[in-house]
Amino acid sequence: MGNILPITPILPMHESAIRNPQSAIPREPPILIIGLGNPLLSDEGIGVALVNALAASYADNPAVECLDMGTGGMAVLHVLPGRHKALFLDCTLMGEAPGTLRRFTPAEVRARQSTSRCSLHEGNLLELLALAGELQTLPAEIVIFGIEPLTLESGLSLSQPLQQRFEDYMSAIRGEVKERE
Amino acid sequence: MPKLVEINVHHITRVEGHGNIAIRATDGKIDKVEWQVPEAPRFFEAMVRGRRWEDIQTIVSRICGICSVAHSLAAIKAIEDAMDIVVSPQTEKLRMLTLYGEFIESHVLHIGYLVAPDLLGVQSVVPLVASHPDLVKLVVRLHRLGNTMMEVLGGRRTHPLTLCPGGFKRLPGQGELRALQEQLTAALPDLQVLADAVYSVKEKLPAFERDTEYVALVDRGTYTFYNGNIGSSDTTNTVAVQKFKQVANEYIVPQSTAKWAKWHRASYMVGALARFHLNAEHLYPTAAELARYFGVTRGCCNPYMNTVVQLVETVHSVEHSLELVASLLAEGITPETPRVTAKAGWGAGAVEAPRGILFHSYAFDDNGVCTGANLTIPTNQNHANMQKDLEALVPTIITRPEAEVRQLVEMLIRAYDPCISCSTHYLNIEFV
Repeated sequence: MGNILPITPILPMHESAIRNPQSAIPREPPILIIGLGNPLLSDEGIGVALVNALAASYADNPAVECLDMGTGGMAVLHVLPGRHKALFLDCTLMGEAPGTLRRFTPAEVRARQSTSRCSLHEGNLLELLALAGELQTLPAEIVIFGIEPLTLESGLSLSQPLQQRFEDYMSAIRGEVKERE
Repeated sequence: MPKLVEINVHHITRVEGHGNIAIRATDGKIDKVEWQVPEAPRFFEAMVRGRRWEDIQTIVSRICGICSVAHSLAAIKAIEDAMDIVVSPQTEKLRMLTLYGEFIESHVLHIGYLVAPDLLGVQSVVPLVASHPDLVKLVVRLHRLGNTMMEVLGGRRTHPLTLCPGGFKRLPGQGELRALQEQLTAALPDLQVLADAVYSVKEKLPAFERDTEYVALVDRGTYTFYNGNIGSSDTTNTVAVQKFKQVANEYIVPQSTAKWAKWHRASYMVGALARFHLNAEHLYPTAAELARYFGVTRGCCNPYMNTVVQLVETVHSVEHSLELVASLLAEGITPETPRVTAKAGWGAGAVEAPRGILFHSYAFDDNGVCTGANLTIPTNQNHANMQKDLEALVPTIITRPEAEVRQLVEMLIRAYDPCISCSTHYLNIEFV
């Protein structure tokens, strides 16, 4: 069993995590990093864990905004307009070994399941990005970092393979951001 | 050769299982109609055990990205009940605004993204961008309003940060509230356009009725989402929230691992239609007028009309939000610091989530550590009623073309907008 991440990194409780309307950071920094997923389901929370860990690195950088969008699904539509680049961090089933990180664009993949449109709780990032494309609100550049999970069972901790490679993921994402800055 | 009709409608829940409607009929005679659904995860009840009261909201807000505020508030009210905490009228107003943001977002998404394609004859909202561009942009605009309300009041677009037992960790500023006031005012004409669009295709909503028990919060004199007792259309008596287990009587059925719930009958419905049934006379004026426009009256027992009532509730949410914002601006925001003295106890809280009445209860020890929890979500309470609706509907449509039968049963599921918590949030891809 991996170390249980304390609640704080999953959901920072300190004031600075709450959007400050007086902040000097422009409303729509050109580079947006979005962490998706559910931290109550072990490795499904990898995107959320990463974006919260990255947020401190970019707190004073006016060009980069980190957003924990969790399982907010369609709400992603509202944060895309006006950006040059959006990075999505998400748990992804790719048929790879657990812990594998792959960087890809929407054009390089297709979803292996489509939503049945029976519930708002079914989520598909690729379908959402297709809708944003139709609405002409998509940033010029979209990059997805997918991480293969070991387990999606209930739990507040990441599995060992993902914990061990956490800093590698952070480096890869920082490298992607640095290229664009 | 007997004509066999076999229809299976899958919706994806978790990796290990699917929700399914199974229909089999031979020569028009129904052999099987089953709503098969796996148990919604109860792990969150185990997850909060051993956690301090301060962490409960953080955890339960992650159960669901659509009902995040509702779960947060139900938990917070249960904690306040357990620890005898009373909050200020200002806190109640701000919590209502936060919840309204979630209602506006959830209802608009349901109407615009799930149901509109059915009514306009397409498979998803994507083709509607080309065929109905102004309407889709309007839906996105209204959706954004709800999301902005949650960001301003909850501190984040989803999974709120500011809500806590005793009050708020951060209060909104006057400027933020004035900006919301402008956006809320602009939303009413948008909602009229959306209403007209739905009205123009309302004949696409199937005319199916089944006498049903409806359960929702009731609070004398208000169309309540936050305060009150538990009411039923089958009785004028109400039940205190602390006694919610008397209402959601769970029982097991062979076809599903998810338990069903009943109260006075074999099933009951929660959600917009239930709230309307119990509280319609308390709708704000424009919302009430919209209900009349659609011809929806108290006593309507057509589950497909749940969507129309969601539209009515969205208008009501905007109207009441405008009143709340005006009140807060006039009085000014008073700085308040939440104060909680942890103690042993048990408490229960209920709010109306967009999909229906939601119950949380928790037990705490002397140190404020959770020793037990019980969460009863709206969709679990609706499973039995969905089955009963299908049993009544399918025999009346089974001789129609298979594609039409499938469409009608899918539309029935969509009308309920089942809350499949923690499902399909991860990507599942192959490289091309």
